[in-house]
Amino acid sequence: MKPLNSSFRDPSGFIFQRDNQIFRVVNHSYQANYDLLMSKLYPALTKAGLLIPHTEVGFDVTKNINQYKLLQAEKIPFISYPYEWSFSQYQDAALTTLAIQRKALEHGMTLKDASAYNIQFHRGKPIFIDTLSFEKYEEGSPWVAYGQFCRHFLAPLALMSYHDPRMGAMMRDYIDGIPLDLTSGLLPFKSRFRVPLFLHIHLHASSQKRHANSENEAAKNTRKISRAAMMGLIDSLENGIKKLRLKTNKTEWGKYYEETILSDDYLAKKQMLVSDLLENINAKLVWDVGANDGTFSRLAAQRAYTIAFDIDHLAVEYNYLKIKEKKEKNIIPLLLDLTNPSPAIGWNNEERDSVFKREKPDLVLALALVHHLAISNNVPLNKLADFFAQLTSQLIIEFVPKSDPRVRTLLATREDIFPDYTEEGFEAAFSKYFTIKNKQKIEETDRILYLMQT
Amino acid sequence: MLDFILLYLDPGTGSLIVQAIIAGFLALAFYFKMAKNAVTDWVLGLFGKKKITEEELTNDETTQ
Repeated sequence: MKPLNSSFRDPSGFIFQRDNQIFRVVNHSYQANYDLLMSKLYPALTKAGLLIPHTEVGFDVTKNINQYKLLQAEKIPFISYPYEWSFSQYQDAALTTLAIQRKALEHGMTLKDASAYNIQFHRGKPIFIDTLSFEKYEEGSPWVAYGQFCRHFLAPLALMSYHDPRMGAMMRDYIDGIPLDLTSGLLPFKSRFRVPLFLHIHLHASSQKRHANSENEAAKNTRKISRAAMMGLIDSLENGIKKLRLKTNKTEWGKYYEETILSDDYLAKKQMLVSDLLENINAKLVWDVGANDGTFSRLAAQRAYTIAFDIDHLAVEYNYLKIKEKKEKNIIPLLLDLTNPSPAIGWNNEERDSVFKREKPDLVLALALVHHLAISNNVPLNKLADFFAQLTSQLIIEFVPKSDPRVRTLLATREDIFPDYTEEGFEAAFSKYFTIKNKQKIEETDRILYLMQT
Repeated sequence: MLDFILLYLDPGTGSLIVQAIIAGFLALAFYFKMAKNAVTDWVLGLFGKKKITEEELTNDETTQ
């Protein structure tokens, strides 16, 4: 039994995985807070779908003398990290954290941690997963997680809104949130005229700078923060976050999709073929890589939990908004650049797993993707086949040949250094690892859809 | 002059102090909101409309 590397910092307990189940040890040092949490706050939060539910397991498997309780937590099918969320996902994660803090205060507790890594997407919604993040609220004390909340949520969201949604990727470099002095410097001057941003980013950053040398005693001796001020703080953060918007508007969405998606007829035919292939497949977790707005992820999601990865921020955002609108529970849209996938980060490079170290799929959909990897990114076909074979035992993959208009566009501005990029070359490369179980030409195009298994 | 936070210094103190600095303003904003809600509830009450509870508000925010 080895604690998961994501939980080693917490003195209140730790998490471990056994037989594909998630367990959480609560130490004696957390006993008083745990009992307080379970009395009222836990039922309120789980009823509202804000906190991951658990059951107390009545036996000691860990032989740990510090152990007060052993909990079995509901398992999240796929763990994601903040740098993989689109703007609205990030915004909802922030608002969920604040809703939890407000409920905690109502029940005499407060969040001691407001890390974005404590939020996961499950059943289409954000949910808080760290049961041991709550402690008794002492009236008059400040919010100890305030700085962390601003770095983990407000700073990236403000940068994404004022500058570019791709700024969220900065969270990969700063595991404890984007430093506020850096954020303050990057935000435009006009952001100072928004009260929440002025207070929680700009003033906050200068206060950090001014008091960087002070002893913590100085903080302890400062004025008390009344309950009303604490509630006002949550309101102010919430208002600030709710008012942040992406620069794109709805009409641009429409235009964007008209431009990126091919004809409706082609889509309809491909949907029929993919549906047929999915009929005979048994899978629990599907990765749709290059999912765009999730059209094909939705077909897979009728049968299995599906992760819809795409490199394009707006595609992931659009997919998430659709999931929210239709209350879809089986799809999680996430940002992923396959040519530079999420690495392992944090202490000893093992605190947050690389995307391939997390839950592996039983089926991968790779539709209209191969030409981007093979031609735009110069990945040889045998490397591609090897990559997919390491990832999955079942693969539905579309081959887009050189005669296709999209590939012709890609080749228009570069030398054709891809002599093997043919139907035969593709099949030869993939046959080293997979057996081709089914092969269908998509009518009226030169594209071919394959079902392969190892 | 060096005009940045040295990375090995703890920014935590500043995060606590700034809360104390802005506390008065935040408390005032909170009381103002409570008063506004009380008046809204009273007016809605005159027309026999149901009050919106904090519970419904929270659920609405996270599931919208």
